[in-house]
Amino acid sequence: MSGLNKDHGKLIHMLHDTQKKFGYIPAHSISQISGELKISESEIFGVLTFYKAFALEPRGRHLITICMGTACHVRGGVQIVEEMERKLNIKVGKTTANRKFTLETVNCLGCCAIGPVVVVNGKYYSNITIKKVDAILKEYQESE
Amino acid sequence: MIIIIDGKKIEVEGKRTVLEVAREKDIFIPSLCDHPQLTPFGGCRLCIVEIKEKRGYPPSCSTYVENGMEIKTKTPRLQELRREILELILSEHPNACLICSEKENCDEYKSTIRKVGEVTGCVLCSNNGRCELQDVVETLKIDKVKFPSVYRDLDVKKGDPFFDRDYNLCILCGRCVRVCQEVRGASAVSFVYRGSEAVVGTVFDLPLLESGCQFCGACVDVCPTGSLTERGIRYEGLPDERAKTICPLCSIGCELKIDLKRQKILSSKPSDEGAVNEGQACVKGRFLIKDVVHSPRRILKPLIRVNKKLEEVSWEGALDFVAQKLKKFKGKKTALIASPQVSCEEYFLLHKFASEELKTENVDSSYRFSPLAVFDKMAKENGLELGLNFEIKDISRAKTLFLIGEDISKSHPIIWLEVLKAVKGGAKLIVASPEELSLSRYSALWLQIKPGTEFYLLSFLSKLFLQKEQEADHPRIEGLDSFEDSLDKLDLSNVFEMTGITREELKEASELLLDTENAAFLFGMGLTQHSWGSRNVAALWNLALQAQAQLFPLGLENNLRGVFEIGRNSSDKGLNLNQIFQAASSGELKALYLAGPAPYLKKANLELLVIQDSFVNENFEFADAVLPASTFAETEGTFINGEGRLQKFNKVIDPLGEAKPDWWIISQLARRMGNKGFHFKNPSDITKEMIKIVPSFSNISYAELEKGQKIFIQEETKKERSFIPLKYSDSHYKKSKEYPFLMFLDYSLDYYRSLSLSQESRGLKAIRDSRWIKVSLEDAEELNLKEGENIAVESSSGKFKGFVKIVKSLPKGILGASFLLSEDSDFSVSGLIPSVFQESHSLGMLPVKIKREK
Ligand code: SF4
Ligand code: SF4
Ligand code: SF4
Ligand code: SF4
Ligand code: FES
Ligand code: FES
Repeated sequence: MSGLNKDHGKLIHMLHDTQKKFGYIPAHSISQISGELKISESEIFGVLTFYKAFALEPRGRHLITICMGTACHVRGGVQIVEEMERKLNIKVGKTTANRKFTLETVNCLGCCAIGPVVVVNGKYYSNITIKKVDAILKEYQESE
Repeated sequence: MIIIIDGKKIEVEGKRTVLEVAREKDIFIPSLCDHPQLTPFGGCRLCIVEIKEKRGYPPSCSTYVENGMEIKTKTPRLQELRREILELILSEHPNACLICSEKENCDEYKSTIRKVGEVTGCVLCSNNGRCELQDVVETLKIDKVKFPSVYRDLDVKKGDPFFDRDYNLCILCGRCVRVCQEVRGASAVSFVYRGSEAVVGTVFDLPLLESGCQFCGACVDVCPTGSLTERGIRYEGLPDERAKTICPLCSIGCELKIDLKRQKILSSKPSDEGAVNEGQACVKGRFLIKDVVHSPRRILKPLIRVNKKLEEVSWEGALDFVAQKLKKFKGKKTALIASPQVSCEEYFLLHKFASEELKTENVDSSYRFSPLAVFDKMAKENGLELGLNFEIKDISRAKTLFLIGEDISKSHPIIWLEVLKAVKGGAKLIVASPEELSLSRYSALWLQIKPGTEFYLLSFLSKLFLQKEQEADHPRIEGLDSFEDSLDKLDLSNVFEMTGITREELKEASELLLDTENAAFLFGMGLTQHSWGSRNVAALWNLALQAQAQLFPLGLENNLRGVFEIGRNSSDKGLNLNQIFQAASSGELKALYLAGPAPYLKKANLELLVIQDSFVNENFEFADAVLPASTFAETEGTFINGEGRLQKFNKVIDPLGEAKPDWWIISQLARRMGNKGFHFKNPSDITKEMIKIVPSFSNISYAELEKGQKIFIQEETKKERSFIPLKYSDSHYKKSKEYPFLMFLDYSLDYYRSLSLSQESRGLKAIRDSRWIKVSLEDAEELNLKEGENIAVESSSGKFKGFVKIVKSLPKGILGASFLLSEDSDFSVSGLIPSVFQESHSLGMLPVKIKREK
C-alpha cells in the first residue's frame, strides 16, 4: 500500500511518548507529529482514537475504572457509576477540575464473580455498593 | 494461468483479484467496499466465494488468483451468507424503504420529498438513482431485516463547502478514506474511534476546510451510499440528459460528464473514460461548472452606447454598429486581445479578423510570461529547437521529481496525482517554493526559496554537479566548457543568504538529483514570470541536462498551448499585450477589441472599446459596445491542453439568452465589414481552414479523435542537447525603507474569462479567495493584523485592497497575492498598474507597504 505506512510504527511510538509526557495527546502535538512524520492529522487522529491507551484530554492522577460488563451491570454497576459521577461532579470519560480523578467505564474485567468491580490505579475493589464509594474516594483524596 | 469460475475455464495473466477477473468476464459477484481504482479492503464481506481446497469463504476482492483455482460464486450457502451479511449492514442503515413492498411505486415521489433534515429512508435520500446499496438489496432480494435496527443519530455535517456528510447512512466501506489517501494524497478523512463507535471523520471532528481537504469530490463520487452528497443537487431532482465535454478551467482538460435538466446544468463529474483524468477532477471541474455557465453575471443581450448609456439592442443593431465603428479605426491604431480560454478555432478566427479586417498586427493573448512562451523564447535565443509536448502519464514513472514555481495540487491537480503515484512508488520529490505547500508532506526535501532567486539556486546546483561529475566518466555534452566557464565567473559566494537555503539543503538536493536515472523537472510561472525568466529557464535547462531529466513546462490556461501555436504562426511585429495596454494609456491606440479579460481601463484613452465577453465586468463602463459571448458549454471546438494534446469539447446546452459563440460573432462582424472569407457555418468549417494555415495543427482530425486516437500537435523535436552559457545578472528584488515588504504575485487560474471564480462561488472563496493577501505569522503579530482583516497594499505606483490571510510558513517580510485579471480593480494586483504592465518591470515581486483599511 502507501509508502507511508511504514511510519505507523513510529507514529505509535511518538504518541506513547506524548502520552507519557502530558498524560494525554494535546492538539498541538498532533500537528507537530503530522509535520514530522508527514502523516495527515486526520490519519493520526484515526490511529490514536483506535487505542484506548491514548487520551485526548488530560487525565487525573487517579484513574477510576468502573466495570460495566453484563455481570457487574446487573449487580448495580449503573448506580455505582451514577454515584461516582455525583461525588466527583464529572461525567464518565472526564477528569475533575483539580486533575485528581478521571472516571472511565470498561467492559468486563474478567472477574465477574467478585462484581461489581471498581479499579483505581490498577487496584481492584470487589463487591462494591454505593456505600463503599466514599471510602474508596477518601483513600485517594487524602493520599497526596 | 488457468482458473475456473463457476465451471468456466478462464485464462488469466498477472496479479489479479478473483473479483476483478469475474467482473471482466461478466460473472456477477455482489460487492460494496471494493472499487476498481482503489486497493482492496475486504471490509464488507459481500463478495465472499468458495474456493476448492480453501477453508472458509474468502472475500474475492482481496483474494488473488492462483493457477488452477476452482472458484464458485453462487452456491446457495454463499447466497444465504451474503444475505445475512447484508442484513447486518442494513440493521445500521435506514432500511424501511429498502425492504418496502411498495418501493416501485414510490419512484416518482423521490425527488420531491427531500427537503428534510434526517434521511430515514430512500425516499428522502438525495442519492437515489445511483445507490449501490439499493442495487445489492435488489440483487440479493432482501425483504426483511431480522436484526434490530439502530439509527446512529449522528449530526449531519453541513458546514463545509459543496457537499454534506451524513454518516448515519455510512456503511464504513472505506472507499472515501482510501480515495482520499491513495489517489488524492489528502488524507483529510480517516476512520476514527473503534468498535461500535467507529466512524469516518477528521481530526477532532474539525470541518473539512481545516483538515486539508482539496474538495475534489472524489470521495463523493466513490461513495456507494447517500452519506456524501453534493449539496447543489439535493433539491434538483433527477437529470433528464447527460453530455460529455472538456473542462476549460485549467491546462489539464479533464473530460467531464455533465448532468442536465431542462437545458440547465445540474452537476459535472469527471468521466472515467477521460484519457487524461481517468475519473478524477478537481474542485473547479467537479463543483463550479454550473456556477460558471449559469452565473448571474452572464451578459445575455447585446449592448451599445447611446447617449452615454449602454442600451440593449438586437444583434443586427449591435453588429451594424460595431462594424461601422471599426471601419474607422483600421491599422496600427487598433488592437485586439483574446483570452487563452477560447477555442483554437475562435482564436484563429480572431487573428484572421484582425489581420484581414482590422488590418492590424496588434493581436495578443496573455501568455508572454507563461512557462511555455518563456521556455520557447529561451530556446530560440540560444538557437535550440525544443519540443513543448509531453505526456502527463510519463510523470508517474519518474524516480526523482523537482518541482519549482507552482503549487500543482491547486493549479494542475491531475499532474499532482501523477506526481503522487511516483512518490508512492518510491520516487523522491524535491519542492522549491516560498511557502510550504500542502504537497510538501510528500517531499523528500523542501527548499524554502526566496522568490526571484531561483537562478542562483539552480546555478549553484549545477556547480555542485560539475564537481561530482568530474569524478564520474560521462559522455560529454556539447557546450560544457563554455557553460563551465560561465559558472566559474558567476559569483555565488552568498548564495545561501540570497536564496534562504542552507548549504546542507543544497547539498542534499544535488545528491538526490544526481543519483537518478529518470528525473522529471516541473516548472511553472514562479520560475518564468520574472523579467529574467528566460535566464532562469536556461539555468534549469542546464541542470536538467546534467541530471538527464525531462522538462515539463506547466502552462496555466486550458488553451494556452493552442493560442500560443496560432500566435507564433503569425506576425510578431505588432504590439504585445503589455504594449497594447501602454499604448491604450498613452493615447497612441485609438480602438481596442477585447475578447478576453483586461485590467481596469480607467487610465486608457480610447475612442472605441468593444467588449466580447460572457460576464459583466468593470470595463463595461468604458465600452461602446458589448457583444455577449457564450461559454464553452454552449458551443464546440478544440483545445490543446498543457501536454500539447488535442481535445474536442462539445456543445452541452443551447446558448443562454441571446449569447452567441465567439466564432459566430466574429464571422458575422467580418461579413458585415465586407469580408467574403468568413462563411463558416460551424466550428469544424473553421478547423478545416485552420489546419491548412497553422502547420503544427495539420494532423488535427475529429474523426481520428473520436476513434480514440490520441493526437498531439506536431512539432519539430530535434533532440538537441547543448548547454547554454549562463549570463551573470544582478537580478533580485530589493525592498526599501518606504516599501519594506516584497509582494509575490501568484498567477491565479481561478478565473474564467472575466469571471473571478472565488467571487462567484462562496465555496471556492472559503477554500481560497482571490482577495487574500498572504502575510507571514511574524509580520502579522508584529503589525497586530488579524486573520480576515481588511488591508491595502501600496506600491510606488498603485494600490489594491484585500483580506489578511496568515500563512505560517511564509518568511518574514514577504507578502503574497493572487494576480487575476478578472478581479475587480479595487482588489486586483493589477491595481498596481501601470507598473505591472511595463515590460521592463518585473512581474515577480513588488516592493510594497501595508496599510490598514477601515
Ligand atoms: S443510501 Fe441508498 S439505501 Fe441508504 S437511504 Fe440512501 S438511497 Fe436508500
Ligand atoms: S473532497 Fe477530495 S480531498 Fe476532500 S475528503 Fe473528499 S477525497 Fe478527500
Ligand atoms: S462515507 Fe460513503 S464512502 Fe465513506 S465509508 Fe461511508 S459509505 Fe463508504
Ligand atoms: S484539473 Fe483542470 S481540467 Fe480538470 S477539473 Fe480541475 S480545472 Fe478542470
Ligand atoms: S462484568 Fe464486571 S468483571 Fe465481568
Ligand atoms: S467487496 Fe470484497 S469485502 Fe467488500
